[in-house]
Amino acid sequence: MTSSRSETSQPSTTTKPARDSQASRGSRGFNTPSPAQTAARYLLLLLVLLLVVGPFLWQLSTSLKGPDEDVYTRTPSFLPEQLTFGNYGKVADTIPVWTYALNSLIVAAVCITGNVVGCTLAGYALARLRFRGAKLVLGLFLATLVLPGEVTIVSQYVLVRSLGLADSLAGVALPGAIAMLNVLLMRTAFAAVPLELDQAALVDGATVWQRLWHIGLPNVRGMLSVIVIFTFIGAWDDFLWPLIVLNDPQKYTLTVGLQYLNGTFSANPRLIAAGTMIAFLPIVVVFGVCQRFFFKGVEEGAVKG
Amino acid sequence: MRRIWAALTTTALTAAALTGCGLGSGDSKNSDSVASAAATGEVKGKVSIQTWALKPKFTDYMQGVIDGFKKKYPGVEVDWLDQPGEGYSDKVLSQAAAGGLPDVVNLPPDFAFPLAKKDLLLDVAKADPKLADEYVAGGVEAYRYTGQNGTFGYPWYLNTDVNYWNSELLTNNGLDPKKLPASLDDLIAQARVMKEKSGGQTYLMSRKPGLGDLYNAGVKIMSDDGKSFTFNTPEAAALLDKYRDAFKEGLLPKDVLTNTYVGNSKLFNAGTAAWTTGGGNFITSLATDNPTLAPKMTSSPTMGVPPLYVQGLSIPKTTKNPAAAVALARWVTSPENQAAFSHLTSVFPSTKASANDPFFSKSDGSNSGDAKVVAFDSLAKAKLIQPVQVDDAMSTIINQQIALAISGDASSKQALDSAVEQCNKLLKG
Repeated sequence: MTSSRSETSQPSTTTKPARDSQASRGSRGFNTPSPAQTAARYLLLLLVLLLVVGPFLWQLSTSLKGPDEDVYTRTPSFLPEQLTFGNYGKVADTIPVWTYALNSLIVAAVCITGNVVGCTLAGYALARLRFRGAKLVLGLFLATLVLPGEVTIVSQYVLVRSLGLADSLAGVALPGAIAMLNVLLMRTAFAAVPLELDQAALVDGATVWQRLWHIGLPNVRGMLSVIVIFTFIGAWDDFLWPLIVLNDPQKYTLTVGLQYLNGTFSANPRLIAAGTMIAFLPIVVVFGVCQRFFFKGVEEGAVKG
Repeated sequence: MRRIWAALTTTALTAAALTGCGLGSGDSKNSDSVASAAATGEVKGKVSIQTWALKPKFTDYMQGVIDGFKKKYPGVEVDWLDQPGEGYSDKVLSQAAAGGLPDVVNLPPDFAFPLAKKDLLLDVAKADPKLADEYVAGGVEAYRYTGQNGTFGYPWYLNTDVNYWNSELLTNNGLDPKKLPASLDDLIAQARVMKEKSGGQTYLMSRKPGLGDLYNAGVKIMSDDGKSFTFNTPEAAALLDKYRDAFKEGLLPKDVLTNTYVGNSKLFNAGTAAWTTGGGNFITSLATDNPTLAPKMTSSPTMGVPPLYVQGLSIPKTTKNPAAAVALARWVTSPENQAAFSHLTSVFPSTKASANDPFFSKSDGSNSGDAKVVAFDSLAKAKLIQPVQVDDAMSTIINQQIALAISGDASSKQALDSAVEQCNKLLKG
């Protein structure tokens, strides 16, 4: 919101210098901003960047502060006076952070696999296959989206418990293994692939699996990477559900386990910040790996004229 | 988050009620027999205990207590679970809904209340008639609820609030740390001095009033039967008027009324406010956050009746091993084990036998030692001020209405009437 508002208000404030510079050069196109405009844009971008990144930087600097430094002050200082990485080591000493990270990774992997495979199949079926009750199934999927997760969490727990999956990572991952919203996203993505492509393949004698593999999938890679990223973040950051399902501290996921740093009578903000940083890194990695697929799917394999 | 909680409570309790109905016939008959089994049964077999956020700092302590228990009762096996601090009430409610509560559960009185209301907790006084003789009255009282018959937990460790002052800010702004305010009028007068001397940079008052302040002004918060709120009295309105005038004068930080209010302890940490309240261990924990601030702190008793904070151990009725569960709860809350715990951190034991321990009544001369003594002395007078019936949703309503009154957008009387009316509605719902 901030950025869009500042963009619309921005031209009016810089109209005058813009016109001047255009008159002097004359060759500028309609959409080329003047240097002043560019400067203003970068300034605004920088401002928004600071707003978004500020709290994060503060956490980072807190995690690097030594034990003799004040954490909360009137004017927050971002540069630690006694730079130390000891807090990260202490986190690993206090809680089995690598075990927790591995648990989180397992849950995230199961969720991603489930979503990528399950939502692709379900989405393709709903978008391209004709079967009795297709509309009904779609309606049911939509209906489950109406209920907020918190309302069903207890009955979900009772269900998982009676399946014998309480206190196991499978119990944590299972309910998230196919998200209805992702099925709808995949359905939309498949529906956007031109029908002619499918028909052409049909004429060539392709089976449903071949059409899914060779026609459908190459065109929805962008959406798949979106789903991978969102599922990963969702599974990695989820707190309430793993907390409810798991009892054995050895099986805790990272978000739940990090709470031990915030115990009664013993909360050290430096350690909490260091733990947060550890939890944050994998998200950056996954995003970095996936983001290059973001805009790819669209151009690939389009109908040739 | 609040909405999550509300939704969760309703579902969890409905589910608990449903499962309760399913087992109904067996359960009500059981009530007494569980208690008698607990009193007479042999202590052996498996028993589980759930604590709240004691790991990793107190892992060794708890393990020692459990090992002692195993030594005392050979043939007993203890399974210790420690739950993280965040989301504990959600965890407990879902455990209750699924019938999976451990045999001994650490529950503060307001968490135990909804479970006791659904008849899920054992009346420990029935299983253990000596309870009232051995534990301090305030602690036992906290687990007795109006409208419910019984005592639904062993009191464990106690704490209370102490006033903390930033003596450097006080001296720099013309105030004397030796003459700390002891009443609201004092506080307002000194806050005025501080405002003038500091040019409005620092504040002495740092929070808006809550139910505790109303209680201390002589306002009755709830009717005796626990069925309606009664804090919309003229005295309460007069108190809010006082705060409103102070706010208008600029004696309180502007954001105490809004959602951006970070709490008086945060303002205190940052050096914006010179006064905050906190438990007996506040200086020690602050020494980790802001090491340069901790030595400048000084403490004094709270104004009026200090609030009592209780942690306790409850036993669900569904326990398969009542004898061992009661024995374990007794063991963990025994005078020796509690004394050892209190020496590790600034909490206070709930057993009468511990009251004479000179450790609590003598300071080692440090400011945190002084605070501990102040807290221990306050504890004798401390009372459970906020009724257990007040849940998250009600607190929000009360906060909002008090904020309206102090900002001057509603008259104090209107705001209190509206808060009482809305809370009563929630109470019935």
